[in-house]
Amino acid sequence: MIISQFMTQEHRDCDTEFAAAEQAVANGNWVEAEEKFLAFSNDTLRHFKREEEELFPAFEAQTGSSEGPTQVMRYEHEQVKGLIGKLAEALEAQEKDAYLSLCESMMILLQQHNMKEEQMLYAMCDRVLPPETKENTLEKMKHVEL
Amino acid sequence: MFSQNGLSLDQAPPISVVFRFFFSGALFGILAGILILFFQTAVFDAHSKEAVTLTHTLTLGVMLSFMFAALFQMLPVIAGVTLTSPVKKANLLQYPFILGTISLLFAFNHSVPWLFGAAALLLGGSILFITLVMLKNLIKLPNHSSSSKGMLAALISLGIVILLALYMTGTLGGVLDGVYYTQVKAAHYSLGLFGWITLLIISISFQVIEMFYVTPAYPKLVSKYLPLTLLLLLVTTTAIGLFTPEIWYISNILLALLLTGYALLTLKRLTQRKRPLTDATVWFWRLGLGSLLVSMLSMVLTLFMDDMFIKTLSYIFFSSFALSIVFAMFYKIIPFLTWFHLNSQGYFTAPMMHEVIHPKTAMKHLYIHLATIAAFVLSVFIPAFIFIAAVLTVVSFGWMTYQIIHAHLLYKKTQETGEKFEMNIA
Repeated sequence: MIISQFMTQEHRDCDTEFAAAEQAVANGNWVEAEEKFLAFSNDTLRHFKREEEELFPAFEAQTGSSEGPTQVMRYEHEQVKGLIGKLAEALEAQEKDAYLSLCESMMILLQQHNMKEEQMLYAMCDRVLPPETKENTLEKMKHVEL
Repeated sequence: MFSQNGLSLDQAPPISVVFRFFFSGALFGILAGILILFFQTAVFDAHSKEAVTLTHTLTLGVMLSFMFAALFQMLPVIAGVTLTSPVKKANLLQYPFILGTISLLFAFNHSVPWLFGAAALLLGGSILFITLVMLKNLIKLPNHSSSSKGMLAALISLGIVILLALYMTGTLGGVLDGVYYTQVKAAHYSLGLFGWITLLIISISFQVIEMFYVTPAYPKLVSKYLPLTLLLLLVTTTAIGLFTPEIWYISNILLALLLTGYALLTLKRLTQRKRPLTDATVWFWRLGLGSLLVSMLSMVLTLFMDDMFIKTLSYIFFSSFALSIVFAMFYKIIPFLTWFHLNSQGYFTAPMMHEVIHPKTAMKHLYIHLATIAAFVLSVFIPAFIFIAAVLTVVSFGWMTYQIIHAHLLYKKTQETGEKFEMNIA
């Protein structure tokens, strides 16, 4: 379960950063909000990159399919990236209501996406990838940077 | 690689499928308020035709509509079940369902045997059809989550509830002799309220509490075994209860214990939210779970003392439980779906969730809903309050109806006039 554990922990860390940024915006503390939002967006985008460059190709090679769940996950990554862009604009313009509104959409979208990955995709990766491939993929993912 | 009708969107049903069930549920809610205005405190006597009529307006007309909305949306998203031709299925379900519900309400109120027959055909046919379709798809799933298993258990309950209802309408319509009528009625009531409504809410909550509020997951022991335990308890009691009706006393105490545990655990989860902001939906959940606790306590008390007031309080708070949670879900689902569908169709100008329904609007509904419950509780002691309770019920569901119409118009307007980003990456 090494893939599940590592990737799920990354999801939880991003959630914490996201909630901290949301709270800072609600309090009107824009400096702190920017700092927390940057941490959230950088960590989320790095997590996506780890999946798209290492984990998904390894899964696709093993299962021989690039049309299945990884395709859905890639599409959802694009949706999340779009929202990150809109959140950044709202933060830049210091539009509190717009930021908090976008937070609602982001959280539902992201949590729904995370659940699919945690309950289905990571579990499948841990099941189908040979132990050596799994360890190599995990090591490679840890070295991916933005 | 992906089109504007992306794979994610393909998994979700068209927005109209969800909107239409919320809409019909809200209209039945307005009808419930009007009925209370006419029936007044006669609705508190569980054996009166007024109480039976109102109960079915709420459980069938309101709750079942909302729960169909939830199932059509949630089955693909959280259980991974894709229903083919959802619009056709929604049509096949909704029209006979509405006609059947209205026939049943008239049948109860005017004791017309042939209307029981019509209601049985329309409701039995449509509900059993969709229950079987959903069950068939759920059973085929290769990977089950705690939510999908819970939905399976809840749908099995719904199927049994309808079969029991067919036995009763058969008796009332003069087709069956109804030897087991009293026992079947007890089972129909408990399976409907606990096996269907409560169990479905519990199953959905396993995912949405975590998803909407970012809380720790429910303990595996609870999410894995609670739905099945509830179903087994209810089905076993139903079977034994045919011959030994007293078994329901024990069963009700066990049910109350299990549901109290669930309510306390969920209330605790809500205190463990990573997102500390508290919106109306969090309060709706707290109110619903608090109401479940009061309802269970009063249900157990009525087993030991035959007190009309306590019995009535248990009905009022059970309704408050179910409706509060429906409202909590409604204020997340409608704004999210409106934004999500338009955004996925590529509209730059897709309204944000707060533009569809502003958090302050949801907060106002919370106050109306709180006042409605308070008026009902007061009317148990001071009957004149029932008029205020009735009017507030109409206002509460009227408020909801307006939000659905507003969201629908905004959706259509954006589709007609919104700027669209053409994603044609093939």
